[in-house]
Amino acid sequence: MPSFETKNFGTISYKESSSIQFPWGLPGFEDRRLFLALNFEDTKPLVFLQSLEDPGLCFITMPVLAVDPRYQLRMSDEDLARLELPRQCQPQIGRDVVCLTILALQENGPTANLLAPVVVSIRNFKAIQAIVPDSDYSHEHRLLPQETAVCS
Amino acid sequence: MLMMSRREGETILIGDEIEIVIAHGGRTRVKVGIRAPRDMPVVAREVKLVQDQNRAAARAALLPGAVSGLMAHLQPSGNRRP
Repeated sequence: MPSFETKNFGTISYKESSSIQFPWGLPGFEDRRLFLALNFEDTKPLVFLQSLEDPGLCFITMPVLAVDPRYQLRMSDEDLARLELPRQCQPQIGRDVVCLTILALQENGPTANLLAPVVVSIRNFKAIQAIVPDSDYSHEHRLLPQETAVCS
Repeated sequence: MLMMSRREGETILIGDEIEIVIAHGGRTRVKVGIRAPRDMPVVAREVKLVQDQNRAAARAALLPGAVSGLMAHLQPSGNRRP
């Protein structure tokens, strides 16, 4: 089982089959292609997207439905094709894809990027950060404590 | 902001080095061609927003106390969790 030294979590061992491939990287980190999704009992519902190429690169994320249970995922045809998902219908969160939102820590509290969720195909573990141009969602959605409490 | 009306195939010049061509005008979207120096980044505005947001998120994730701070925000004491 391969292992990797990380800045936040020390050395982690992982199954190669559980790594997530971002063939196009993420905006701002276009050359980072391989990540692991880590979660821990005492930091639920957080999901840590740890780079397997950069020990110091880790995004703190949350399932998008834990932030907004009514979240509507709308992916462009181009992004659907990139994940090898059918173009005719939008993927269903939980059935076709895992959908995470990257959290940012701002001075006046944490925010979630709902404009550009990270979408992982359950079938092939390929992922992209899907930006929807005409989205009504904010890239700085204020994270409220009660939103998570409802879902827990 | 300077507003200009252009037809398909017409061009706008910005300085000497940037050329913008209205390649195709549709009902709800327009296709724009951009010629600019190679070292000049050209991205859609929302891509730039997400780039900046990702860089800030990655920096903040490394700060000591980032995770505990987030957890404290998500689960303040007295919160009713099952």
